[in-house]
Amino acid sequence: MSLFSFCRWMAEWTANYMLIPVFDFQKNLFPPFSHPAGTIADWLGTDGGLDTLAWTFAVNIAFAIGMTNLILVIHLERKIAARIQDRRGPMLSFRSFRELGEDLAGEAPSWRFKDNYSGIGILQNMADGIKAITKELIVPAKADKFLFTMGPIIFISSSVFLLVLFPLSDRFAASSAPAGLMVIMAAFSIAPIGVLTSGWASNNKYSMIGGMRSAAQLMSYEIPLLLSMAGVFLLAGSFDPVTIVEQQQEGTWLFGLPMWNFIPQFLGFIVFMICILAEVERVPFDLPEAEAELVEGWTTEYSGIRYMLFLAAEYIRGFAGAAVCTILFLGGWAGPWPIPPEIWFLSKVYLILIFWIFIRWTVPRIRTDQILELGWKKLLPLSLINILIVIFMVEIYPYFSDIVNLPEVF
Amino acid sequence: MAEMWISMGPQHPMTHGLWTLKVKVDGETIVDADPELGYLHRSVEKMGERRKYFMNTTLTDRLCYASSTTWTHCYALSVEELMGVEVPQRAQYIRTIMLELQRLASHLMWAGAYMPDLGHITGALYFWRDRELFLNLLELPSGSRLLYNYIRIGGVKRDLPDGFEEKTERILKLFEQRLDEYADLFENSKIFRMRTEDVGNFTASQAMNLGITGPNLRGCGTKFDLRKQDSYEIYDEIDWEIQTREAGPGYGDCFSRYMVRIDEMKESVKIIRECFKKMPAGPTMASKVPIRASGDAFRRTEDSRGEALMYLVGDGSDRPYRWKIKSPMFTTISACPHYLKGYKVADIPSIMGSIDICIGETDK
Repeated sequence: MSLFSFCRWMAEWTANYMLIPVFDFQKNLFPPFSHPAGTIADWLGTDGGLDTLAWTFAVNIAFAIGMTNLILVIHLERKIAARIQDRRGPMLSFRSFRELGEDLAGEAPSWRFKDNYSGIGILQNMADGIKAITKELIVPAKADKFLFTMGPIIFISSSVFLLVLFPLSDRFAASSAPAGLMVIMAAFSIAPIGVLTSGWASNNKYSMIGGMRSAAQLMSYEIPLLLSMAGVFLLAGSFDPVTIVEQQQEGTWLFGLPMWNFIPQFLGFIVFMICILAEVERVPFDLPEAEAELVEGWTTEYSGIRYMLFLAAEYIRGFAGAAVCTILFLGGWAGPWPIPPEIWFLSKVYLILIFWIFIRWTVPRIRTDQILELGWKKLLPLSLINILIVIFMVEIYPYFSDIVNLPEVF
Repeated sequence: MAEMWISMGPQHPMTHGLWTLKVKVDGETIVDADPELGYLHRSVEKMGERRKYFMNTTLTDRLCYASSTTWTHCYALSVEELMGVEVPQRAQYIRTIMLELQRLASHLMWAGAYMPDLGHITGALYFWRDRELFLNLLELPSGSRLLYNYIRIGGVKRDLPDGFEEKTERILKLFEQRLDEYADLFENSKIFRMRTEDVGNFTASQAMNLGITGPNLRGCGTKFDLRKQDSYEIYDEIDWEIQTREAGPGYGDCFSRYMVRIDEMKESVKIIRECFKKMPAGPTMASKVPIRASGDAFRRTEDSRGEALMYLVGDGSDRPYRWKIKSPMFTTISACPHYLKGYKVADIPSIMGSIDICIGETDK
């Protein structure tokens, strides 16, 4: 059963047993007057109404799963960073609250609290969220107030939009379009507009330089990114995530292992990994918000929940980037049977995310001119070479192998 | 983009203290720079003229929060010359050990502050973790972790505690292992070298004209270290080398300055070991230290950051008549327009971090 048919079944159940009776009751409460509840009840009974309700459920499920993963990713980043740095990281969790309560209830012999409470720190995100919500939303006096508000909306909404775009498996997809990956990349490239807007509207020189850097970086990295993806599209002949993942299962490699795209297109894989790091603005490519010289760059003037949502949106973009990488190069949700495909997909995504976390805490930041040089002079030619290799594999090699009967390599 | 002035500081992550760097940028390129100092001026020299000679060691401790012993030592040296006091042999050895421990702590503090400038938070925590070891060592004889007030006029406050040598040896061994581990993370890392190599260049002659001393000058390949050139305490009795490195013929960059400090830390470890080996028994304080002095005295020492210089005039009373401090960082920061021009905005933390700023001694 796919996610949509499940949601459709749930929508029918909700409409028939919960919503339509309530609206009918409302309609019958005031019989002399025509009541809007009646039209809603009629509309819910139709196919269109049920489809709309089912889509709402599906999108919300995908959103909830994405948000849960967001909390996990942030927690994972904090803990792994702490372990790399010889620290413990956040320690506050439900269990430590219980121990604290026992101490306060007088079961501990002394008035003093214990030195440390056991816990893995999952509550730290909640504490940060509460702190951010209770803070004041400061708008600088000479800022462009309309654009200052619009910037975060563009950036955050386009990032959250990404959560519903990629499928977790062929049966678990909130949306599945034939041009699925193109839509994802289009949603990825809305964000620079928000960054540039908020950087300019802050009326701050650091913010403006940060916004300009971000625009330059994202523009120069979109091209090698899309070119490295083009190789996969050529091989699969489709933009559809499901087709791309199925195509990767066809060929085999050593010991009968499936030949996922990162083996024949290793060059493209490397280029894609570097470019997607720059696209989601993580270290070593986080120079639009370099805290050493630009004091957090284009987010300098934002406070409270807006700043918090900027950070959250960056993690969502990182999660979505890792998901795209998994679909394109790591075989998507494919894996041995007993583990469900959704878990396979998420574990591959988390593998990439943990790799990124290791990179983030072990390398310094690159300079602006160096990042542009890397993008234009190195990654762009490499992605073109990758396309050439794929064209040879797809078009020229089968033609020659028919004539001279070359041994099967790919 | 048109040219514009950006004000970095007094509250800015790059400044490592309280000062303002105004830079004129054309897009991302620095066209001009203008440092503004004086936010932390406490008029140490004038305060010292109202205090007795032995009281001033608390003031000199507070000159630099990262390297307080070296400044107190410079003051003690100049007062001893003014008064004609002979420091016992054992006290000189203890002083040398404390100075080198302080140099290690100061260089580690610098390295820890330099890494976040490049966006490398982990480096900060690693180096500061090692600095803790040396702070623990400095705490053993002096009793405090930041402002030691251990070196006094005529010797040191008290003898080294029992087991100090073994503890020091254990920590030095651990520290040497860790420095070798860090080499892969920092100086062998491609991105670290991209950020530091060929950035913030100045030649040796330029540095001498601008008054830049210390590791920044030795980073240009010049063999100039006051511990050798104008030797004090027992540095001339010990076998050690001046550590230099140059990026190219006669000029240095951020990476060579980084490597000079790392090599200096390794050399300090050698000096401490040899001091322990040669240390004689005896008193740690001169038998008689006068409280009045007349005449003038002038001493310079190799501080962790460069040439520290003190000039004292006594008029026969128990207080100095005139006291002048020359800070190495004041001249180095003042010269920053010369070595910032032409680089990118993103290079500012890399360059200003590599010269090891301490605003306490700069503003006095």
